[in-house]
Amino acid sequence: MEAASIEAADTSHGHGDHHGPPVAHHSSTVDAQTLGMLLFIVSEIMVFGGFFTAYFFIRIVNGNPWPAEGEELPQLIAGFNTAVLLSSSVTMHWALEAAKHGNRRGMKLGMLATLLLGSTFLTVQINEYVHLGFAPYNSAQASIFYGLTGLHGAHVFIGLTLLLFATVRVFKGHFTPDEHQGIEVPGIYWHFVDVMWVIVYVSVYIL
Amino acid sequence: MKNPREVTRSDVIMMIGIGIVASVVGIALGLWIDWFPAAAATQATSIDTFYDVLIIISVPVFVLVTIIVLFSALRFRVRAGEEELDGPPTHGNTRLEIIWTAIPSIMVTALCVYGASVLSDIDAAKADQIQVTAYAQQFAWDFEYTGTNGNKFLTEQMYVPCKPTTEAAGEGAPCVGRQIKFDIKAVDVIHSFWIPAMRMKQDAVPGIVTHTKVNPIRLGTYPIVCAELCGIGHSIMRSTIHVVTPARYTAWLAAKSAAKTG
Amino acid sequence: MPAQLKTAGWYRAAAFTLLGLAFSFSLTTLIRSLYGYTPLIDGAAITIVSMIAVPFFFLVGLGAFDYWFYWASGRPTRAEDHASHGAHSWRDYFKVNTDHKVIGVQYVCTTFFFMFIGGLMAMMVRAELAAPGSQFVDGQDYNSLFSVHASLMIFLFIVPVFAGLANYVLPLMIGAPDMAFPRLNALSFWLLPIAGTLMTGSFLMPGGAFASGWTAYAPLSTTQPLGQMCFSIGVQFAGASSIATALNFLVTIITMRAPGMSFWRMPLLVWANFATSLLVVIATPFIAASQFFVLLDVALGFHFFDATIGEGRQGNVVMYQHVFWFYSHPAVYIMMLPGFGIVSEIISVKSRKPIFGYRMMAFSLLAIVLLGFTVWAHHMFVSGMQDWIRVPMMITTAIIAVPTGIKIFSWLGTLWKGVIHLDTPMLFALGFLTMFTLGGISGVMLAMVPFDIHVSDTYFIVAHIHYVLFGGSLFTIFAGVYFWFPKMTGRMYNEKLGKIHFWATFVFFNLTFAPMHVIGIQGMPRRVADYADQFAAWNFAISIASFFLGLSSLIFLYNMVNSWRNGKKAESNPYRSLTLEWQVSSPPPIFNFDEIPTVVGGPYEYGVPGAVHAIMGSAKPEPVAAAVGSNTESQEG
Ligand code: HEM
Ligand SMILES: [Cu+2]
Ligand SMILES: [Cu+2]
Repeated sequence: MEAASIEAADTSHGHGDHHGPPVAHHSSTVDAQTLGMLLFIVSEIMVFGGFFTAYFFIRIVNGNPWPAEGEELPQLIAGFNTAVLLSSSVTMHWALEAAKHGNRRGMKLGMLATLLLGSTFLTVQINEYVHLGFAPYNSAQASIFYGLTGLHGAHVFIGLTLLLFATVRVFKGHFTPDEHQGIEVPGIYWHFVDVMWVIVYVSVYIL
Repeated sequence: MKNPREVTRSDVIMMIGIGIVASVVGIALGLWIDWFPAAAATQATSIDTFYDVLIIISVPVFVLVTIIVLFSALRFRVRAGEEELDGPPTHGNTRLEIIWTAIPSIMVTALCVYGASVLSDIDAAKADQIQVTAYAQQFAWDFEYTGTNGNKFLTEQMYVPCKPTTEAAGEGAPCVGRQIKFDIKAVDVIHSFWIPAMRMKQDAVPGIVTHTKVNPIRLGTYPIVCAELCGIGHSIMRSTIHVVTPARYTAWLAAKSAAKTG
Repeated sequence: MPAQLKTAGWYRAAAFTLLGLAFSFSLTTLIRSLYGYTPLIDGAAITIVSMIAVPFFFLVGLGAFDYWFYWASGRPTRAEDHASHGAHSWRDYFKVNTDHKVIGVQYVCTTFFFMFIGGLMAMMVRAELAAPGSQFVDGQDYNSLFSVHASLMIFLFIVPVFAGLANYVLPLMIGAPDMAFPRLNALSFWLLPIAGTLMTGSFLMPGGAFASGWTAYAPLSTTQPLGQMCFSIGVQFAGASSIATALNFLVTIITMRAPGMSFWRMPLLVWANFATSLLVVIATPFIAASQFFVLLDVALGFHFFDATIGEGRQGNVVMYQHVFWFYSHPAVYIMMLPGFGIVSEIISVKSRKPIFGYRMMAFSLLAIVLLGFTVWAHHMFVSGMQDWIRVPMMITTAIIAVPTGIKIFSWLGTLWKGVIHLDTPMLFALGFLTMFTLGGISGVMLAMVPFDIHVSDTYFIVAHIHYVLFGGSLFTIFAGVYFWFPKMTGRMYNEKLGKIHFWATFVFFNLTFAPMHVIGIQGMPRRVADYADQFAAWNFAISIASFFLGLSSLIFLYNMVNSWRNGKKAESNPYRSLTLEWQVSSPPPIFNFDEIPTVVGGPYEYGVPGAVHAIMGSAKPEPVAAAVGSNTESQEG
């Protein structure tokens, strides 16, 4: 993402008709990458909004029991998983702070810990699916349960992928106290994924 | 020589004049066009009147916009020698802007009030009802009545009673009928129960029971149409409602009940 | 490996497409064998997985992700070499290109391509309806025809063509060298042909193309043949494309405006796309969700919409419509606001007057954005939702007509006493003004619950949507394409053919769609292959008119193709416009500006003596000297 810093023109590739673009004027204090990520998160929130609408209709409007008769949701395991995911937000923050202070070891450890915690979350989640004892086609409640947690799981996966890219770059020696957007921007996404999980967890498992 | 770009008082008067004439003609046309099928329920009369009001309000709005566009296009068009000319640099006019925010607001508010009152009118329940359950399934309607003996029976054609208010009791005669209350159910996908002559429409939705009511006021036979796309045979999913004299209705009901028990 | 397969391009894309098919086949079969499903090889499942996976393989092959892979692998940041920027021959239009101007042209051409396909389907629909009874297609094929017609027109024409036009002119207008995320921009474009191929290609599916309308109401859509998945998945690609573009527009507008280009100096087209992009970013995820539900119900046996599986565990059917319309009502404004922007530009330039009430124009756009989210259930007055929702929705819907009215009156105010140049773009703009007024009026009528109960799902709706989408949106698109044609191609269009095109379109449009109001109220439902005999005469007349309407678009096609090749060279600013895109050559230089201009005034100061919108070239301390010559044309008072 530091690629966004556009270097002066390079004429070696034979396009004789230009000399590189003029440097764009920055008309806002917000940085483009961060703003883009925030707007993307708005979109993501709305995707969850759509799924929560389904949840609302199936559970509240239909007045179906929750969970459906004969289905049970493992509150405790999911609670443990919540703790795992929340602590990954802390390690993520740690990695970013380390990057800001030029602490390479902290960066590496922070990113690795975040990746590890995130993967643990996914593993526990998949394991939960396997042992739940009901499938999405058992009831509409099961459908929306798998829908919401699965959608969230997909987001964890996307987040992990982005973080993996950043981690690779950390280990290859990128990022400095002035230039660490490549950690910061996926980090924002990761925090969003965590906050979203709390909402999903509370509405699906607790309420 | 008069500057053709000048808008004089008489221009304005002319525009207002043309506007009024065009609006009157437009409204007359709008009211004269035979938009609706014959009104066969009180709901239809309320909605038709409502529509007339909508026409009366809408036509002048359209005429206003069109006249200004046409007048501008004719009067202010660029003429020879004006290719480099610019218009007057007016940026706005707060008074005008307030007016054209306020007047439409008042108009739509009035419409909403009227609309809400018509809605509560056509939805009003009467004490004396005949209950019919309409079943929609790809691609046919079935109607469930309670027979004279209390048993339920199904029919594909609907009959409802309506007491003629005049001597004549043929097709099209005015009458007063009991309110028909429909409970609408869908067996497979969404359909929509619509009697154009009575103006009422209600989707049939799998999993829930929906409702609508009509108060018949005209003897005759009217189509029932499925209005919601429901698959390959959607366009042929039709039935008929017969608004008949109470005597004929009783006879029909008795025959149906007997057939069911027998 | 041959070199062709190593470099990004169509050969590699083809190879990757095959790879994608193999991947989908193996993945599906592997999963089925793990679960022990029989038969092991399931055509439908493989097709669904392919429809999702193969497009990504194709994009990778084409090179849409090359730089991202490069970045992700942790290699050093590469100085931007602009190798994929700008078009040097027609071939460059078929590559992943990061130049917003190339992408704009790619967008416009692709979307018009799908417009003509969709139009052809409309002709077939009208041919079937020319007489009662069955002419030449059966019920399912008929349903497919109008479903694919509507879906192509909405998701592959009107929504993206506006994104294309704005892609071209918006960065120029705000004085930016490109969009904020050029690679994302390229990806947005390439998602479109994929969506279009899926939807058009659905006719090849067993059981035919999707046939549940562009609204795809469940549970009809969840019980349809495989072609339905082409809609559900196609919409995801089109939706992802519009979200990515919208995000790009928002970031570009917020962070890349030229010095001096405050929000209140932005042309209204920029404002309109700002508002539209907000709608897209917030609303589009809802249609994605609705189609995920359908996909999950069909492909994996979920029960979001199954009302029959038993008391206490059933799904909810009406929920689909809430989710769908929470996108699709805002979507009607997504399909209209950019058009508002286009006509604002045209009416101001062609009347040689400032926009009347500029700030109110911008505020009413934002008001529409806000209100647009509060009216979705006006599409559901007879859907069986809770009765009490109807009156509040009637009120909010009626209120949304007020900001819309403000815009119409402001355009009229702009026309008044202007110096009106009645050329083709202006004719379409004025045609829009009157036709859209009619569409707005029928919209307010529909907002009135009692009337809507009667006409919902009838030809009256078909008339309304065509007055707003054809007479509204499409007229603004034609206006915009003619208006910026010189800028985009460097050549002038043929004015005479343009005018003939306008009048033919205007007349046959009205002859086609006005009578639909009547037959709708008289009782003809929409989406029917057959109808009662009483509607035969009107339908015959409508069909005839519609064929002429279809023919009129060929005039446009001929004019565009011929003028692009042989038209006379266009000047940089043939309309004496003040906005920035006209201050550079036609077509603009590859990086738009040699130096970012400095904006010093409003965009529409026509007739204001000495008014200047922007100072081109460098903003050196001695701007007075620099301004002369490169500056806008002289003004007269
Ligand atoms: C004054 C502004 C408008 C109002 C009050 C309005 C109102 C309505 C209402 C109430 C309906 C639902 C009718 C029904 O299905 O029973 C409707 C349908 C529709 N409107 Fe509008 N509308 C307005 C402007 C627009 C605009 C600007 C567009 C698009 C450019 C548009 C496109 C549509 C479409 C596509 C449908 C039909 C959806 C379907 O069922 O397929 N409308 N409108
Ligand atoms: Cu039906
Ligand atoms: Cu709407």
